[in-house]
Formats: sequence, structure tokens, C-alpha cells
Amino acid sequence: MAGMITALTALTMGLGQQTDTLIAVQQGTRLDVSNFGGKIVVKAWSQNAVRVHAQPSSGDVIEVALASSVLSVKTTSPRGMPHDVEYIIMAPAWMALNLTGVHSDIDVDGSQAAVRAETVKGAVNCRGGTGYISLKSVEGAIALHDAKGRVEVNSVSDDISLIDVSGDVSAATVSGDIELEGIQSSRVDVSTVSGDVAYAGTIADGGHYRLATHNGDLKVSVPEKTNATISVSTFNGEFDSSFPVGAADTGTHRFSFTVGSGSAGIELETFNGDIALRRPGEMKDEAH
Amino acid sequence: MNDPWTSRLSEHLDDTLTGAERVAADAHLASCPACRAVADDLQRVRTRARALDDRPPATDLWPRIAQQIGLEPGRRRAVRPLPLSVPQLLAASVALMLLSGGAAWLVARHAAAGHTAMGTSALRFAWANDPRYGAAIAELQAALDEGRNNGRLDTATVRILEHNLAVVDTAIGQARRALEADPGSTYLNHHLADTMRQKFDLLREAAAIVSART
Amino acid sequence: MTDAAPGVTTLNGDGARVADPEAVDVALAAGGDGGAFERLYRRHVARVHSLARRMMGGEAAEDVTQDVFVRAWAKLGTFRGDAAFGTWLHRLAVNVILTRRSARGIERGRYELGDAIDAVPTAAPEPHAAVDFEEGISRLPDGARQVFVLHDVAGYKHDEIAAMLGIVAGTSKSQLHHARMALRAYLDR
Repeated sequence: MAGMITALTALTMGLGQQTDTLIAVQQGTRLDVSNFGGKIVVKAWSQNAVRVHAQPSSGDVIEVALASSVLSVKTTSPRGMPHDVEYIIMAPAWMALNLTGVHSDIDVDGSQAAVRAETVKGAVNCRGGTGYISLKSVEGAIALHDAKGRVEVNSVSDDISLIDVSGDVSAATVSGDIELEGIQSSRVDVSTVSGDVAYAGTIADGGHYRLATHNGDLKVSVPEKTNATISVSTFNGEFDSSFPVGAADTGTHRFSFTVGSGSAGIELETFNGDIALRRPGEMKDEAH
Repeated sequence: MNDPWTSRLSEHLDDTLTGAERVAADAHLASCPACRAVADDLQRVRTRARALDDRPPATDLWPRIAQQIGLEPGRRRAVRPLPLSVPQLLAASVALMLLSGGAAWLVARHAAAGHTAMGTSALRFAWANDPRYGAAIAELQAALDEGRNNGRLDTATVRILEHNLAVVDTAIGQARRALEADPGSTYLNHHLADTMRQKFDLLREAAAIVSART
Repeated sequence: MTDAAPGVTTLNGDGARVADPEAVDVALAAGGDGGAFERLYRRHVARVHSLARRMMGGEAAEDVTQDVFVRAWAKLGTFRGDAAFGTWLHRLAVNVILTRRSARGIERGRYELGDAIDAVPTAAPEPHAAVDFEEGISRLPDGARQVFVLHDVAGYKHDEIAAMLGIVAGTSKSQLHHARMALRAYLDR
């Protein structure tokens, strides 16, 4: 392994050789990784240093540069597009991450900082993240676990899964399901065009929740003592509730009713699909 | 004889009574069917208020507004000249948004802070019927076509994007047909507008990918 | 929502994707783009007009709506984006409406203590089948109507309403209650 590099402007690693480099970084440095194809894996550790491990193809070069509080890592090729590379990177948990790929999967594990991960074709998996978290893929499933902050997740042609996430949540896909479980948030806005949406989480007083799909079902599980005004809209589907609906304000294809004090606002909307409102645990019972 | 709790029922509904008052009110409601009936009615009134539809004016006020603010109706008066190419327009849009501090991300969709007014949402995107929407869609579609034709987008990505555009277009078609049969439906208006916006967002994403590969 | 860990460079300024066309339109309109402002107008005119109609009555609503948007154009430069544009516009609309009402010297009709409305009816009032809920709102005394529209329709809290109308919060609560009691007769049954 190469020795610790504490100050550098650019470092060019060699031809087809395995790269294993350790770079000391100061608090506030951001990690930028750009990888056309392959994989980007970033794992958090407690050292104030970044370790980059990769094996480029013959002719490709891995460039690591530290400037203006940004540590950038990328692969270049003298012959146009570089070949696929798999990066295994250890980075401080406090380090903000900016990871971009084209035909690249992205995995993040243990971050306690802001995470931005975008790829065109590839899955994005993130465990951790604090602050602003933005995950995006065109063709690839996106999964986020144990994160806290302002979350934006966008896919086009695959599923989205958010588990044990707290903070404001926005998620959208076109063809894919959206699963939200263990959500603690006062603002949730998720939509898909062709897919199901499942939500299990808190409903905060005064919160805003919008769950929408065009072709697909909605399954929502909220706590027993929820206080919400619930608006249900479907053009071609049924609504089934474990909560008493009571005096509902009805209209064509849409009606609203109140649970508890009606404090939060919940919009449940499908076009072709059913909507189910359940208590915790009931959705799992139905699945079995 | 007046029931002293009647005048407090709205406070009970809005949860603005003190803890002790609320306990007393709950106890009274448990034993007073008349008050319970009134309380139910008040809740229905509040729910009804929240579900009121907003209606635009019968007259299109825009020409008068444009005249008053010094715009020629239907024409832009751009202070900053905007680049013509779509990828540059996207970049300019992002820059303008960041400069304006616009983080109106989720919040722009919903009601005022601290209160849910779920039923009072206006026609969220009345611009969906604006011909400028069609023009923007055409521009973004052209950027996608350009990316495909000049190889900036690989064929697999193009296939995925076009498949999903077809998914959205199908959804838009279904929503439109439903709305034609029931043009006064607030729900269908909102749903169509939201679906059209999803197409706009998808094309904008595709154009951004093309731009990034330039 | 928590801030990023101490010492971490935030990513807010770095390549944040456009997630909301409205934010773009606001920025463009603030720079003088009339097309962008027209899109904002079309997006929000129904809500502004409905607020004006419910608080001022139908005849003045169009004039007031026009005033709101002209004022919004002039003040766009003061919009900082720390709240939703719709929220900012709605608050501006309320200010324009209340100023117009003061200028017209509209007497604020209110329910007074001792009105029969306080009595507990043994049954709900007969529904006015031919008169819908909106019409019922328009028939409320002025002051009660303002409070009802601002609280139940627009979502303002009593202390906010009290500050807007120059009354105390207790009066706002009382007028709201009386308005709701009267509007029971206009519920769909």
C-alpha cells in the first residue's frame, strides 16, 4: 500500500496497476467520485483519511486530486471512454459524498453526512446519510436505510425503498413500486405512474403526506392515535379502511374524512387501483 | 336553557382548550347527545370548508394584468437573455433557482406552514393547459431525440426513457378521457395536471442526462 | 430535519437538480420574465380569486384578484423562498383584501353575545337544500365570514387572524364558532 499522502495537487496512478492509496483529509472536505462504468462502494470509517482501492484496466488511469476542500477520484482513458472500474473507498463518516456514474452501481454504507449519488444505469444502495440526501437512477432500484434529513429519491424505471428514514421525504419513479417503512416525517410526497405505493410510518400533527400512483394500489399503515384529514381519490378502484370513516365529505371519485383531530393532511390518490388504510401490523398480516 | 359547553365546542374541535377544560368537555360530550350531535356537525362544517374547490374568475384576467405591469400579452419581456439550447436552458434554470434561494421543494405543493388545508388546493398546475407546456415538452423531446441521434445516449438508456414516456403518455391519455367525461372534477383536473408534470419532469431528466454527456 | 454533521461541506449549492418548476418560474419572473409570471398567475389565480370572492363578495373579486397579481409582480424581488410561493402570495392577497376593505369602510358585522345561535337546538337546523355551502358562507355576517374564511378555509391560526383584523383572539374564536353553527344548515345531507 502506498504511504499516506498529506498534501497533493494531483496524483496519477499507473497503468493497470491496483491502486491502494491513503490520503489524509481535513474536516469539511467533500469526496467526489466519478465513474463511468463499474461500481462505486464507499464505506465509512473513523479515520480522517480516505483510502481508495481500485484496479483500472490497462491504459486507464485513476486520478486522485485534492483541491479546494474537494477530494476527487475519477478514471480517465487516453482512448475515449474508460473501461469499467470498481472503486472500494473508505472515507470518514463526516465526509459529504458526491458520487456519479453512468453504467455504475453505487453503494454507501455508514455515512453520517450528506450524500448525493446519481447513476443512469445501476442500483443505488445507501445505508446512512444525514442532512441532504439525493439518490437518483434512471434504470436501477434505489434503497435507502437508516437516514436522517431531507431526502429526495428519483428513479425512472425501477423500485424505490426507504426504510427507517426520518425527515422530509420526496420520492418519485415512473415504472416501479415505492415502499416506505419505518418513516418518521412530517412531510412525505411520493408518486409513481405504474406501480404500487406502501407506507408505514408516523403521521405527525400538522404534517403533509401525499401518496399517489396512476396504475397501482396504495397501502397505508398509520398509528392508532393518528390525527388527520384524509382525502381519498380514485377513478377506478376501491377504498378500504380499518379506521372508521364516519361523516365523510363525498364528491365524485374523491372524498375526505377525519381521524382524530384532523390535524395532519393525507392525500391518497390513484387512478386505476385500490386504496387501503390500515393500522400497524395489519398490512403484514394481509401479506401472509 | 343554554348548555354552557355549546359555545366551546369549536375550541374542543380545534384542540385549543386547556387540558382540564378538554377533560371536562370530553366528559360532557360523553353524556350529552345533543352536544355530540352539534360537535359532529361542526366537524363536518370544518371538513367541508377544507374541501372547498377554488374556482378561477370567469374572465381571464391575464391580459389586464399584463397590461398593468407593462407586458405585451403573450410575449416575454426577458431581462436576462436566455440561452436557446435546452441543456443550457436547464443549466440556467438551475442557476436561477439556486440564486433565488429557491428550495421550494415539497412545500410548494402544499398549504401554509403549520396547518393542513387539504381541501383548498387550487388547480395545481393550470399551466398544463397552457400552450407553453406543449412547447416546453416539444423542446425537451427534441433534446432527447438529439441525444439519441448523435450517440450521447446509449440505445439501452434511450429504450428505457422512451418506454417510460409511453407509460406516462398512456396515463395522460386515460386521465384526459376521464376528464372529458367529467370536466368539472377537481380530482381529475389535479390528476391530469400531476401526470403531465411527471412527463415534464421525465423529459427534463432525460435532457439533463444528454447535457451531462455533452 | 437535521443539519449536516459539523465541519461538513453541504451539497446544497452543488448541482442540486431542479425539483420544482415553480421555483424556476419565480426566479425567472423576478428577473422580468412575463411568461414565467403568467404561469404563476395561472397556477394560483383560482385560489386567490376564491379567497377574494369569499371575503369581498363576487362583484369585487375580479378587481381584487387583479390587484393582488399586480402587487405580486412588483414585490417579487422581496420573495426569499423561505416559504412556498403560494403561501407568500396568499398572505399578500389577504393584505390586499383587508386594505381594500378598510378603504371601502366596510362595517364588520359580527354575531353578538346572546344571539339565538348560542342555544342548543334539539335537532340540527333544516338544511337549505337549494342553497349550497358557498352561498351559506356569503350569507354570514361580514366579520364572522372573514374569520371563517381565514381560519377554516385558508388555514390561519386565531392569533394570526386577530393580528390581521385588529381583534383579540377570543373574538376570533367566538366568531368562528358562530359561523360554523350557522353553516350547519348548509351541509349536504
